[in-house]
Amino acid sequence: MWRDVHLHVASKGKRMMTADQIVFIVDDDARLREALGELLASHGMQAVTFASAGDYMAADKPDVPACLILDVELPDINGFDLQGQIAQSDHPPIIFLTGHGDIPSSVRAIKHGAVDFLTKPVNETDIMAAINAAIDHDRDIRSRRAELGVLRQRYRDLTPREREVLPLVVSGLLNKQAAAELGISEVTLQIHRRNVMQKMKAASLADLVRIAGQLEIPITYSRRPKGSRV
Amino acid sequence: MSAASNSLDQTNPEAARALQIVESMPGFAWSANAAGQFTYVSPSALAFLGNARDDLNTPEGEDEFGWRRVVHPDDYDRVAARWRHCLKTGDHYDTEHRLRRADGVYRWFRNSGRPARDSQGRITEWYGTTIEIEEQKQAETALRDRERELSQLVDMVPSHLWRLTPEGRPIFFNKRMVEFLGMDVADIDRPGMSPLEAVIDSVIHPDDAPSMKAALDRSLATGEPFAMRYRLRRADGVYHWMSSRAEPLRDHAGRIVQWYGLCHDIDEQVKAEEGLRESERMLRQLIETLPALLYCAAPDGKPIYRSRQLSEFLGFGLDDKDEAGKPRLASTLDAIIHPDDLATVQERYGHSLATGEPYALKHRLRRFDGEYRWVETRAAPMRDADGTIVQWNGVCLDIDGEVRARQELQFAQERLTRASQAAGLAELSASIAHEVNQPLAAIVANSHACHRWLSAEPANIERAKITAERIIRDANSAADVVSRIRALFKQSTDARTVTPFDSVIAETRELLADEAAQRRVRMDIDIAADLPPVAVDRVQIQQVLINLIRNGMDAMDSLTSERVLRLRVHQADDVVRTEISDIGPGIELPEKMFEPFFTTKEHGMGMGLAICRSIVESHDGRLWAERNDPCGAMFIFTLPARVSV
Repeated sequence: MWRDVHLHVASKGKRMMTADQIVFIVDDDARLREALGELLASHGMQAVTFASAGDYMAADKPDVPACLILDVELPDINGFDLQGQIAQSDHPPIIFLTGHGDIPSSVRAIKHGAVDFLTKPVNETDIMAAINAAIDHDRDIRSRRAELGVLRQRYRDLTPREREVLPLVVSGLLNKQAAAELGISEVTLQIHRRNVMQKMKAASLADLVRIAGQLEIPITYSRRPKGSRV
Repeated sequence: MSAASNSLDQTNPEAARALQIVESMPGFAWSANAAGQFTYVSPSALAFLGNARDDLNTPEGEDEFGWRRVVHPDDYDRVAARWRHCLKTGDHYDTEHRLRRADGVYRWFRNSGRPARDSQGRITEWYGTTIEIEEQKQAETALRDRERELSQLVDMVPSHLWRLTPEGRPIFFNKRMVEFLGMDVADIDRPGMSPLEAVIDSVIHPDDAPSMKAALDRSLATGEPFAMRYRLRRADGVYHWMSSRAEPLRDHAGRIVQWYGLCHDIDEQVKAEEGLRESERMLRQLIETLPALLYCAAPDGKPIYRSRQLSEFLGFGLDDKDEAGKPRLASTLDAIIHPDDLATVQERYGHSLATGEPYALKHRLRRFDGEYRWVETRAAPMRDADGTIVQWNGVCLDIDGEVRARQELQFAQERLTRASQAAGLAELSASIAHEVNQPLAAIVANSHACHRWLSAEPANIERAKITAERIIRDANSAADVVSRIRALFKQSTDARTVTPFDSVIAETRELLADEAAQRRVRMDIDIAADLPPVAVDRVQIQQVLINLIRNGMDAMDSLTSERVLRLRVHQADDVVRTEISDIGPGIELPEKMFEPFFTTKEHGMGMGLAICRSIVESHDGRLWAERNDPCGAMFIFTLPARVSV
């Protein structure tokens, strides 16, 4: 599986193998893979190169902030198709690097989420700026993804009743109204509400509303009387 | 002596006077006894007959009357029977018959007699007059003959004649009409209907009856002549189309006395018309449903008809584009012909209209939705007996699919040629670019890395050396690409065959004919006879020709005037010399443009001419450019002639 996949590391290899970030390079030209790997190594960055889209797909990739430098012309499927195939999963930001870039294909790549579109030969400044921006971007995505994971876990820890209370509370219903909605007493509702706040680690009602927004909990109740619904 | 021949007493003056009166009256007078024997016959009668009185009386013992000799044999029996009857009964005698004149000619007479009776009522004497009625008789006969003829005419004319009262009551049908209908006026009677309504109801087709009734009522009311076509029911129940007319006869005061009607059978005519209409409809349908766009134009080209398909294709009617002061042909062409084809269409169509030569041209036609489709239009003149053009008939065939398919096919062919010969210039250029670009990209990246290793504190000489070595390696690889390209055009001497050069040109011309037409370039080709054969790689030399011809077309793209590309091939000493000249803006740097990557075009690699030269030189020929006279550029290449095969 790692056939034709090369790690390019700085001279004091072992320390860098555990690098906290990584650049994936997919290009069918061995000389260019080698040269880009060397350039990244000279910047103290770790690169992993692949000769085809299939090799990239098959590889186990470390779970660290990363970016993907992708050639358009590849021996198996082309770079745009690979972009399409991984679009639905979590994947590192893509920088296209091509021998013959034209406006339509660059527009297409950017529209489908690529962060940059560069043409060969590429100069050091451009590629390094693109790589750094992409990795920062990935780091950002990852932290948001992680935060959302925590929030989802907390939400899963709520009891079914608490999961009923949450949308009523964030919809802005008064305790009395929410209690009536669920057919329970106001005192019981207040207990559930306190538990929700604690379990979701919400500092305030406003914080809980923000968390509900991140979790995309639909707000289905309105505080307004039914007659005045717009 | 009259006294001897007549028994009247002439001695009595009164009697004499009476006799005078009797004998001087026009006509003959006579008297007879109760037995019927004449007692007196006026002398004028005897003179007329040329007989004596006694000759007229019946001899003793005979049954027949003595006057038998003077009465026409055909009349005698009738007259005799009547006379006997009157003698017996005393009825008034009144008869008409012919009498033979002395000269043997029969004349008609009217003979009347009255009996005189005694006090016991016995007949004593008959007195009578005989008056000539010949003229009257002849007039009657003539009248009867005329009437008979008239009636025969009425019955024999091959039409139906009928008569109505001023109120509209039918009173007469002629014999033919009676035979046709199978009934006479008197036979038609419908309870609760007027006679006219009854006739209409019985014999007029139900679909025509209301309008026929309305038209007839209107004529009866206004006195206006009646005329219409309707279906009339024959005796066998079959309806026939009839053309009917009626006019009123008026008296001196202008009052309508009678209506005379005439109707004749036009069934065959109507059926023939229907047949004609049907065949016309078929023809029209044929025209309308043919998968072609058809039109007709006046001799001057003015559009006068379009098939439905063409109207739908264009999306507007014949006169929708008419403008004041502008011929319809011009405004129509402006609206439907692709602007790039308009000048050619106008010129060629105008030429055909002027000369009567058939017209045929492929051009783009604007569809209602604004899309231009390739069509092939053909038109030919229709002439009358004198040969004068009366109309132009044209057809447009939608060949868009074909044209595109042909273009596709051609592209496919070209791709195939390129793939097999690796000589397609555009792709070759791209692939050369790619081949050179890859090592260049690696060289650039390695150079940056090398620079970085050297700039590091401390400098990493080991890694810098490695990257420098890679740079050398990749640069050599780029140089290899270039020499490989050179080799590409040198290695294929095996593919060369001794070929008649004009066939190479003809093939190239065919390959580019459509493109030239599309780009409105006229290719003016002049190949000298008796060209010696050349030894060439056919595909490579064709690529040179195509490239140079396209260059010429490109150079004339901005021209609004006529675009002419001239290709001249002739022998000069021991070479075949090919000149390709355009009338574009010309060239600034005739030599520089053969250098690789030199281009004045927006989309071009600048490899075409360099490769062309390399191909020609590999054939031991030369390729160069000159200024064309008076304008444009001329590319010339030579190939060594093979004098003997």
